[in-house]
Parts: sequence; structure tokens; C-alpha cells
Amino acid sequence: MLQIIIQGRGGQGAQTAGNLLAMAFFAEGRQVQSFASYGGARRGTPVSSFIRVDDRPIRVRCDIEQADAVLCFDATLLESRLLATARPDTLIVVNSSRTPEQFAEKLPGYRVMPVDGISIARRHGLGRIVNSALLGAFARAIEAPKLEVLARALTEEAPKLHDENIAACAEGYRWVEAQLQRMAA
Amino acid sequence: MNARDETFVPEQTMLLTGNHAVAWAARLARPKVVPVYPITPQTPILEKITEFQADGVFDAEVITPESEHSVMAACIPASLAGVRVFTATASQGLLLMHELLHYASGARAPIVMANVNRTLASPWAFWPDQTDSLAQRDTGWIQYYTESAQESLDTVLQAFWVAERVLLPVMVNLDAFYVSHALEPVRVPAQELVDAFLPPYAPAHRLDTAKVESWGNVVTQDMFYRHRQALGAAMDQVPAAALEADREWSELTGRGYGLVEHYRCEGARIVIVAMGSMCGTARDAVDAMRDAGVAVGLLKVRLFRPLPVQALRAGLAGVPEVLVLDRNYSPGHGGVLHQELRAALYGMPEAPRIHGYLAGVGGVNVSPEKIADFVRMASASEAQPDSVWVR
Repeated sequence: MLQIIIQGRGGQGAQTAGNLLAMAFFAEGRQVQSFASYGGARRGTPVSSFIRVDDRPIRVRCDIEQADAVLCFDATLLESRLLATARPDTLIVVNSSRTPEQFAEKLPGYRVMPVDGISIARRHGLGRIVNSALLGAFARAIEAPKLEVLARALTEEAPKLHDENIAACAEGYRWVEAQLQRMAA
Repeated sequence: MNARDETFVPEQTMLLTGNHAVAWAARLARPKVVPVYPITPQTPILEKITEFQADGVFDAEVITPESEHSVMAACIPASLAGVRVFTATASQGLLLMHELLHYASGARAPIVMANVNRTLASPWAFWPDQTDSLAQRDTGWIQYYTESAQESLDTVLQAFWVAERVLLPVMVNLDAFYVSHALEPVRVPAQELVDAFLPPYAPAHRLDTAKVESWGNVVTQDMFYRHRQALGAAMDQVPAAALEADREWSELTGRGYGLVEHYRCEGARIVIVAMGSMCGTARDAVDAMRDAGVAVGLLKVRLFRPLPVQALRAGLAGVPEVLVLDRNYSPGHGGVLHQELRAALYGMPEAPRIHGYLAGVGGVNVSPEKIADFVRMASASEAQPDSVWVR
């Protein structure tokens, strides 16, 4: 079973991102479970979204305590409570303009892949709505779901700005691909 | 306009939350009146129902009164007028209905209500906790507890079948977040199939201005006494009716749940007893422990009111240890299911030792590993009459 935590703040779209990811995995034929946990849906308070993906029906119904991958919408939330859910091999994708090297120095022992979601979102006229860019980045980082499947889920669910969301998603995907190529070189 | 053609839907698998699965069940049941309070602590159940209505595929009168008390006050006469009635609420909303919950069962109004189990104030919170509905156990409502979005959908439909057979209201309870807000694949049955399972509601008596009948008159002691006996007799019919509904549903869909479900209880030295979403987590815990050679099983209580005492006694006879996990707390009494089970099994030959753990109260996380820890703790300790706080 693949277990994912998406951490954001109320209003950033972490819950929507979790559902979009679940829809994309489901479209690829996987079993999914996605739910968010929040203390009253107030804008700005931390929201955790939990996604489970498996090849058989998912029965377990509790918060994810150890994640295989983490998507963090806000680098200020990348602190002890969230880091406690990460094992040394857990990949953490974080919305930040810093470099992987800066995170390696700041958070030794963690695998952190930053992506500048705000810049990508702004380039595509999405303002501060970063979830499509971050989802694209995340999908490349964990190598699933496929970009075109994720883009289809975005098209079906985004209330407006379909082309902009899909372009941001694709740029997030390419951003991580470029980072990985640079680090491998 | 032919409403049946307008609302025709084939069977399909959809990604739904528990809330939306309940709304789909309500749509497929074709109720005529749906009174709901539209503000906190209401859930997306209502949002989806009003979407269906706006799309012209839900042919019911949706009423939004000024409080949950007024919601139930609207449900009762609508039901007595002889139409199918559905409503949904959660936590504080359910409590505000309390007075009229008694009235509804006394009036023998077969209303079906979905309740999302959430913590009760104060302090204020939204976490999964079943104290809200368990505090309504003496109101004369049938109570189910469901584990998944699929079971919630299936149970709402079975609930109408049972309610209209025995003329008692039914509450279908689903845990906050883990069921209510969890998106998962759900098999949504075809309208035709649901129509075959659940024919239109046609009670023998109904409030009709053309006929001289009334409900709720002032009665003598003797009449009240006999009324309560009749209510009790209807409750007594519920286990058989609920099993019949479940069997028919299972024949149509392949999905049946029983009143209680035994999961890997063969030869178990210790059986976990729980209700609602925690059962799913317990299944994974049981599998892991069985793999490690621990003889453990799960007994899921799906029907809580009436408590299926005979099924519980038969199911737990000869089991040395029982561990009840209560996601609720009755101050001064402990875990409600723990104490109910102790009473149900009291005086039984070879009664198991019953451990009661207050696990997950207030929505505290209970993982499969944690349940395995609880089983180890219970196996290594004496059973206490009081419930024990664990986390």
C-alpha cells in the first residue's frame, strides 16, 4: 500500500489535491482512499489530507502515521510534527523557492524535493493557487500517477481555468524532472 | 413528466465520500419529504441532495427549518401523512432533536436519518466519536453503525425497508472523516434494482384530512403501558426484519453484512468487539496478528439498537477473552458498548472475560499497530469491571 500525506493550510487546496490524486490513481485502476482531517475548516489552519493507494480494497481507517511520500504546501509546515511521519526514505515534495541542497543542509537525513509552486502558478495566471503545479511535481517525484491521467482529473474537477491548471501541472512535472536530471549529473 | 425515466441511473462504480454515498442512497430511495437544517453541524449530505434536486433528479420536497428540533418536528407529521421521509444530521444537531426522537418512535414514524458521529461540545471539535448517537439509545430508534461509504449507502436503503416493515425510525451512523469524508470507490446500484428492493411506501394508516384518525392523543396509564408494549414488540421484530432485508439486498447486489459480523473468529482466544470505522482498521490488525500466530478475531456490531443479544451470546460463547474498543465515553459509566456487552453476556455459561478499552475517544488515532498493542495488553491483564483509558 502506498500511503501519502498532503499537508497544507485551510484554503490552499490540500484536501482538493488529495481528492484529485485519488481520482487519478482510481482512473489508473487502483483502489484508493482519500480523506482530510481538520479542526473546523478555518482558513489558514493546518489541514492534513491522507491518501492510500493499493491493488486490493482498502479497509484501514485511521490517520497515516508513517508516510511513503509527503506533499507539503507550505515550507513553514515542514517541522517536527510533519517530519515525524517521514522515514529516511520518504520523499518530501515541498512548495519552496529554495534548492534541494539548501534543504539537505537544513534538514539532514530527509529526502526533500522543493518546487517553486508559487512562481509556476503565477506564470500561468493562477495567482496563489498552487495545487495543480504541486500535484504535477509530486506525480513526477513519486512516478505516479501518469501526467495525462492527472491532467484529465484536473480538467474534470477544476471549476475554471482548465488550460492554465493543466499547464501549471505539466510545468511542475517538468520542474522536478529537471531537478532530478541535474542531481543525477 | 415521467419521474422514473428522468431519474433512471444504471449501476456504476463511483468515487464517493461517505456523505455523498448517503445522499445517493437517499436519492435512490425516492423519499417525498427531506427536512434538513442547513447550517453547522450539517454535512455535505445535504449539499449533494440539493444538487440532485436542482438537477431535477430528486423529486422530494426539501425543507430547511430553523433548527434540528424543527427538522424532526417536520419529519414526524410528513411521515405520518404516509410518505417516505429522510433527514441527516450530526453531533449537536442530533442532540437538539432529542425530545422529538422519542416522539418519532412513539408515533411509529418510519423516518430514516443519517447521523455523522462527531464529538459533542464542550469543548468544540469535529472529530469522530460515537457518544452523540449512543446518548440516543433509549429514544426508540433502531441504530446501525457502518464501516465504509459502501456500507453506508447499502444500509440507508436497508433502513427504509426495515423501518417501513416494523414502523420504527432508523438512525444510520457513520464516523466523521474516516467514513463521512473519505473518498473511495462505491458501487451505486441501478434505480431499477432499488425500486425492486424498496417498493413505494404505502402504510395501512396515515394522516388524511378526509378520514377521522389522529395521532398522539392524551392517554390513560393503561393505554400508555400498552403503547410501550407495542413499541417493544415492534423492536423485537427488528433483528429478523433486518436479517431479511440484508439477505434480500445481498441476493440483489452480492453485498450483505448481517447484524453482527464475525471476522476470523475461528478458534480465537481473544475477540475484538467494535462498531463503525474502527472495524476496518481492526481487520488489518487481526490479519497481521493471525500471521504472527495470535488467535484473534473481530466481532463487528452493526446493529446496536435493538442490541442483537442472542447473536452476541451465540457468537461469543466459549471465547475466553473479549476486548471491546469504545470510541465513545459515558462519564461515570465508561464505554457504552463495553457496558452493554457485559449486560448482554451476564449469567451466560462460559461467559468470556470482557475487557473494555476507551480507544479513540475524541477522534484520537487508532492504528492497526495500536490495536495489536491493546490485544497484547488485554491478554496480559485481568478484565476490569470499569472501562480503561488507552491510547
